[in-house]
Amino acid sequence: MATSPNPFIQADGKKPTCMEMLQTILDGEATDEQRVYFKQHMDHCMPCYKEYNVDIAIKELLKAKCCGGNCPDGLADQIKAKINSTSA
Amino acid sequence: MEIEYEPRQHYSESEKQNIFNNEFMPHIHSMYNFGYRLTLDRDDAKDLVQDTYLKAYRFIESFQKGTNAKAWLFRILKNSFINDYRKKSKEPSKVDYQEVETYYNSEEVDRQITPDLRVESLKDMIGDEISNALNALDVDFRTVIILCDLEGFKYEEMAKILDIPIGTVRSRLHRARNLLKEKLKSYAKSMGYNNA
Ligand SMILES: [Zn+2]
Repeated sequence: MATSPNPFIQADGKKPTCMEMLQTILDGEATDEQRVYFKQHMDHCMPCYKEYNVDIAIKELLKAKCCGGNCPDGLADQIKAKINSTSA
Repeated sequence: MEIEYEPRQHYSESEKQNIFNNEFMPHIHSMYNFGYRLTLDRDDAKDLVQDTYLKAYRFIESFQKGTNAKAWLFRILKNSFINDYRKKSKEPSKVDYQEVETYYNSEEVDRQITPDLRVESLKDMIGDEISNALNALDVDFRTVIILCDLEGFKYEEMAKILDIPIGTVRSRLHRARNLLKEKLKSYAKSMGYNNA
């Protein structure tokens, strides 16, 4: 079973921690190669597997609960009116 | 700290209107949410958004048409918040980032594992728990979570918006998430998950 080199290793040769890899994946900053590697890594790393699912759930919860709230009615018009009165 | 508002473009009046209406205004809801999450006050958020848009218009010639308007606007709002708003408010002073980075880079990190939180307990947080937990974070930590998790900015964009190196974006985000998890864990406990 040949294991490919860890694509998360930086130019300086520093080995990444599980959490550093996890964060890169979670935030969509990973390359395809890194994603494949991490998927395999999760198969035998229980902490990563658990943490990954928790992190995804938190991300979803944040999006569902903290994005809402349109800006107050009239704010856009108010801004446009101010601009028109100053640029006129 | 202040944005370089050097005019690099030349736009006609109608081009300016066009950029403003089609590239800037569509972000007003995200901008308002950002302003609200920073100030935690709806009126202050309104003022901040208005100031930001007026500045954006005034300095529109330093914006290159078709580039990342959202990141540009977020950067102006963040700077307005720091320069105009934060001075007046009672926000505590900045956390010691030196300490944060050492923390992140240390060997301790892997053992300093995040609080053990379960997906099931998160599923029961259907009220304001997450919102309250987010709002309770120090503003600099709150900001990176807003930019990354709510608005989906990439690290590189965040680095530009916040005027910090990408490495600091990463470490601040990491620390912010741990703090958020600690708060969520205490909610989970109060909801009866003993081994949350
Ligand atoms: Zn792992």
